[in-house]
Amino acid sequence: MGGVWSIAVYTFREGIRKKTLIGFLILSIMVIFGSQFMTAFLTTSSDTTGQSELDVKLIKDICVTAISIFGMLITIFVSASVVPNEVENKVVYTVLSKPVRRFQYLLGKFLGVQIIIIVNLALMGGLFFFALYLKEQVAPTLLLWSILLTYFQFLIVSAFTFAISCTSTSSVLPTIGGLFIYITGNLTEYLKDVYDRSGQTESTIDWIIGQSAYRLWQVLPNLQYFNLKDQILYLSVNDHPRDAMIPQLILYGFVYGVAGYLMSYWIFRRKEL
Amino acid sequence: MSAVIETNKLCKIYEGARRGQDVNALNDLTIAVQEKEIFGYLGPNGSGKTTTIKMLLGLIFPSSGTMKIMGSEDIGLPQIKRKIGYLPEGAYYPDFLKGEEILRFYGQLYGLRGKDLERRIDETLEIVGMTRARKRLLRGYSKGMRQRIGLAQALMSDPQVLILDEPTTGLDPVARKEMRDLLVRLRSEGKSLMISSHELLEVELISDRVGILYEGVLQTMGTVNELLTDRDLSVDVTGVTENSVNSLAEKGIVVEDRIDGRARLRVAQTLSLYDAMEILKAHNLAVVSVAPRRETLEELFVRIVGDAKAKKEGKK
Repeated sequence: MGGVWSIAVYTFREGIRKKTLIGFLILSIMVIFGSQFMTAFLTTSSDTTGQSELDVKLIKDICVTAISIFGMLITIFVSASVVPNEVENKVVYTVLSKPVRRFQYLLGKFLGVQIIIIVNLALMGGLFFFALYLKEQVAPTLLLWSILLTYFQFLIVSAFTFAISCTSTSSVLPTIGGLFIYITGNLTEYLKDVYDRSGQTESTIDWIIGQSAYRLWQVLPNLQYFNLKDQILYLSVNDHPRDAMIPQLILYGFVYGVAGYLMSYWIFRRKEL
Repeated sequence: MSAVIETNKLCKIYEGARRGQDVNALNDLTIAVQEKEIFGYLGPNGSGKTTTIKMLLGLIFPSSGTMKIMGSEDIGLPQIKRKIGYLPEGAYYPDFLKGEEILRFYGQLYGLRGKDLERRIDETLEIVGMTRARKRLLRGYSKGMRQRIGLAQALMSDPQVLILDEPTTGLDPVARKEMRDLLVRLRSEGKSLMISSHELLEVELISDRVGILYEGVLQTMGTVNELLTDRDLSVDVTGVTENSVNSLAEKGIVVEDRIDGRARLRVAQTLSLYDAMEILKAHNLAVVSVAPRRETLEELFVRIVGDAKAKKEGKK
């Protein structure tokens, strides 16, 4: 399995040099860094204590949103492009002509993508952690939990975007697919609503729609489970997350991540390159 | 000698989006690459060369037929893949890596580690003549150097079989000569090489056997000496004029090269030597020398592809 690790490291080294990724990372860092100054323009309270609390809340809001948006863009962009790019520039030919099985190649690429996501998340999260620590003078441990869960959210989106990329020869379709997964993954609760409301009429079409929505709700990942934004905004920065079953969520993210990887292998194993 | 690569009635059909749009990329291909030989695999663009190579490497799958590499039909086995080195056409190697780092990556894919890996990197760089450039980033490499590094990655496991797709394309004459010498040296060291190329002169100079493919069908295969026979005569004459050039062409004698009144003529095999001399005498040309003229691989290629094309159009 040494080959898998070599492919992962190569993927990471190549991935972090991509201009789009660097651009997103710089933008996110600028937003996190700039949030410290933005509060001065956005709040005008005369109450100093209230002003300070509002500042912190704004900083948290801006930073959590920036990490979520830019992190997701990086995740989708990287997951969508690594395999199609290697097919296009023929690196995949030289790699698969070596004693490397297709599942090993894909596992290496997938792990490489995960390292890129983790390093980016650590950079953005680390900066936010530092900014918050300077404001509050206590270690914002709640933020660490949030970043951990955000990674598992990204893992799910990354795994399914990666699977779509194995069907494609360019990164455009998987990028669109990744965005779709992210959006639907955040709206799965609405599917449950659709199911609950469908029982209110006797219509067959309503019943079919309700059942379809229910099945989708059962199958699709619910990315909202990983969202601790409200707790970060309203709890103390060093509180323990409430009502969030961290181990179960980690397992949940891991299972979907593995499912996405297996799907990508199922697509790639007989793919004509 | 035994075959290191064998295909038997190998077919590849690419399925089209609709019925009737299927593309027959390869049709009943039966070839064998022997031990310690250079096999030139030729054909125009789209003739099925790369399709064959991709099937041999397990990158695409045959529609029917069988393949064997080193006697094994399971070409995906790691122990078989260890015995094959592959250089794709126009492959990309990342600019941010040094020459030796590229080889380290590919060496690790063969399971090489530690001192064994470093020793093999040294050996391979030495073989391709890149030892001095090993610490340089690839962005500073010339096209020839990149191609050498490409060949080096193919050699990392010290394979018995090398499959090279257009190894000299895009290289300048000096780099091309160096690459040619390198390939001949690898053969003399006991390796078998299958070279797909458009550079017919290069292939003619180094190949033991060639196969010519057209529209997925193998048109001919044999040793270079068997295929390139003495078909025509080459006659050097003096006293050539503008009028005689046109008149000779009508009779099957072509002026290949001409400087003032001196010329080298190509006499088609349809004319006997006696008839040719009579014609030249009638044109008041003085014969300086007569020699059998061997067909070049390029001429053979053009003739065979032309015949296959004409046959196909005739069928239509």
